[in-house]
Amino acid sequence: MSGSIAYAANLSVTPAGRIYAAVKPILWLAVGLFAVEVLVMAFEIRPYYLPRPSAIASGIMATPGAYLAGLWRTFLETALGFLAGSVFGVVMAVVFHRWLALKELFFPLFIVSQTIPVIAFGAVVVLWFGNTLFAKAVISFYISFLPVTVNTLLGFSSVDPRQVQLMRSFGARDGQILRRLYLPAALPQLFVALKLASSLALVGAIVGEWFGDTTGLGVLLLQAMYNENVVGIWATIVVSACLGMGLYSLVSFAERKIVFWGGEQ
Amino acid sequence: MTAFMQTDSARQISRGIAGALLVAAVWEICARGLNLPAYILPSVTSILAGMVGDLASLLEAARFTATESFAGYAIGCLIGMAAAILVTMIPSARSIVLPLATAINSVPVVAYSPLVLLWFGIGMASKIVMVAVAVSFTIFLSTIAGLDRVDRKSVDLIRSFGAGRLAVLWRLRLPTALPLIIAGMRVSTVRSVIVAIVTEMLGAYGGLGWVIYQAVLQIDFVKVWAAIIVASAISLAFFGAISFVERRYVFWSKA
Amino acid sequence: MLNRRNILAAFAAAVLGFQGFTMTALPAAAQDVVNASLRLKWLTQAQFAGFYVALEKGYYKEEGINLTINPGGPNLLTENLVATGADTFGLSGGTDSVFAARDKGMPIVCIGVAHQVTPFVFVSHKDGPVQTVADFKGKKITTWFTGANHVLSAMLSKVGIDPKDADIQPQQVSVTPFVDKQVDVVTATRYNELYVINQRVGKDNLNLFVPEDSGVSFPRDTLIVSEQTAAEKPELVEKFLRASVKGWKDAFANEKEAIDIIMKIAPTLDRAQQEFMLSEVKTLMTAGKASTDGLFTIDKDAVGSANDLLAQYGVISKPVDLDEAFNSSFIDKIPAGERRL
Repeated sequence: MSGSIAYAANLSVTPAGRIYAAVKPILWLAVGLFAVEVLVMAFEIRPYYLPRPSAIASGIMATPGAYLAGLWRTFLETALGFLAGSVFGVVMAVVFHRWLALKELFFPLFIVSQTIPVIAFGAVVVLWFGNTLFAKAVISFYISFLPVTVNTLLGFSSVDPRQVQLMRSFGARDGQILRRLYLPAALPQLFVALKLASSLALVGAIVGEWFGDTTGLGVLLLQAMYNENVVGIWATIVVSACLGMGLYSLVSFAERKIVFWGGEQ
Repeated sequence: MTAFMQTDSARQISRGIAGALLVAAVWEICARGLNLPAYILPSVTSILAGMVGDLASLLEAARFTATESFAGYAIGCLIGMAAAILVTMIPSARSIVLPLATAINSVPVVAYSPLVLLWFGIGMASKIVMVAVAVSFTIFLSTIAGLDRVDRKSVDLIRSFGAGRLAVLWRLRLPTALPLIIAGMRVSTVRSVIVAIVTEMLGAYGGLGWVIYQAVLQIDFVKVWAAIIVASAISLAFFGAISFVERRYVFWSKA
Repeated sequence: MLNRRNILAAFAAAVLGFQGFTMTALPAAAQDVVNASLRLKWLTQAQFAGFYVALEKGYYKEEGINLTINPGGPNLLTENLVATGADTFGLSGGTDSVFAARDKGMPIVCIGVAHQVTPFVFVSHKDGPVQTVADFKGKKITTWFTGANHVLSAMLSKVGIDPKDADIQPQQVSVTPFVDKQVDVVTATRYNELYVINQRVGKDNLNLFVPEDSGVSFPRDTLIVSEQTAAEKPELVEKFLRASVKGWKDAFANEKEAIDIIMKIAPTLDRAQQEFMLSEVKTLMTAGKASTDGLFTIDKDAVGSANDLLAQYGVISKPVDLDEAFNSSFIDKIPAGERRL
């Protein structure tokens, strides 16, 4: 609680200002959508190239249940994959930082692992992980961990070795140095990576749903793509964008709570 | 200093190769020892043999994919940095650009592919666009985080000497941001290659993704892996090149 | 060999076991119910209506099969999943993918062919430069490089055109380039792309080129099982076919009900398009030999011509042994009278 008060104090804005700040993006969004609507009608752009925003909205409203179910399912997969990817990413960074030899042996392979197009191995994924939510979360995890490792390592490298020396001279153990010095120093970079990882995890979940499933945004997308249902493609794009923005906001919120040195604002 | 760096990177390269050999050995033992069929996991030796057999066509495809990745990467880096600088210079733009960029990036690139293929055709242009979109977001986020990292006291100090916004940006913000920008650029290298490949799989005239797509349909998993190894080599070289630049020119990041 | 079998069986057991676990509880009486799964070649749509109807109406249960229908997806090879035992049955790509799988040594067998004739056609604009197959020369044609390109090559060769003389390009998911006349000839499945083209260009403004008219046939949508299932559980295969045939006959007899079942599973589908799809699929599934012998008949002549075509164009290293790849014995156990509409 004190965190949010401090945050508000930091910004030193009036409640009305805060409401305006929250509403502003929505206002702009409404203006933007209206402009697109007018442009599409004015230039008679055919729906195959760009359907009217109102058509997309009514597309979603025609079967809201399907989109909601898809949203929920994809959210679960993404959340699982994202959490696993973040934890694994940080742990690997700690391991690589602690044992340089391991980093030099295996870090290149981490990079290589990201070059493997998962969508070419649908059958192998189904074979190993079945047709479960877990299988999708695995792909989501696989796609999201690398930026976390890279940025955490970068954050670690920004620690002043003299401070480490100092802590050690006071008898601090490795675990303490990690908790007190390295992890806090890596937080700003880590959060950049987590924001990236949240979108990557969503991509992973959606692609994972292409390996034979009945619910999920990925299924809706695929169906719309191959039936040339352009309104359906856009409807799914809009819903995934909302999900992605939600996840991003969650990470940003956590960042503001945890990392409060934002520099000049 | 240079001599030290050389031995350092020589060790890194030799260890990297050792790590790769280790994994290759485990892979080979698994594939052969368990007698796994090629459609689950072909042995490393059979993949290498396949690579030698298809070398000419693989190299041609690699040239295709590398061109798309590099072009898209360069464009994406420029867009990402420009957008981040814009947002930092004009703070009121932030509340519009940031959610918009997040929204665009939240949608998997594959979702845009039918639209991008429709708008930009099935040739190289559509892949370059897709790579640029994917890369620009990563760079955008990293650059913003980097530009925001300067502390207020330094800004106040340099302002008190009469420096304008541009000077603050050039003298203070960009140098401080550089390590994060380059970290973003490093992560993006790999992503640029994979995005090019995935887009090629959905429609192309050539490239490694196209080779993979065809090979999957013909149940030729040795070829799939051969193409992936070539793609990995491109990514690794690309990643290595950016890391090299980073170590060479961003030495103050360690200070 | 034994070793590999064991590993695959272990994989399969793990996967199937898990599926079994997630299944809803069965009535206590149904003790000898067998768990099995059917992997489709694509997502839920009217193309597979019969299987869903049979499932909904409990025909598989009546035969003692607790069936799960798993949808497919891009790059998800049904052959692969059936060969490894991850799925018991598969509705796979078609004769082309069965041959490719056999050629690569995958232990799968085809037990029935759904689409008796080539399910795709080549389409041109009536007011455009292409009026006959001979006009394809020098024109821009898009097609799928997954078998359809070889059908096209064969059609061109029959009228004395070297396929190299036509500008043949890979086809993307959208038919818009054809609608916009950037492309002269496009490939379209009768049940999906053709619907979209009809909608946008108008049915009467199109020329259709049917592969069968050029003497080329490419039956698709094949039912497959692993060699192991075929050898060890022939009665399971037979029961599955019996229930499936029943489901399909119902689907064709009551199309509205079948579409209702599909739309319940995938509500975002376009109903009109699904209705079109089902009626086209009916034509494809009852064409040729199936008109006399019934659904899922394996027409060895048509299948053989596809075999020769693929071998001729080097897609498979040599013609595949037809009798090993296509096993009619299961479907033949169901009398033709029961399989005819």
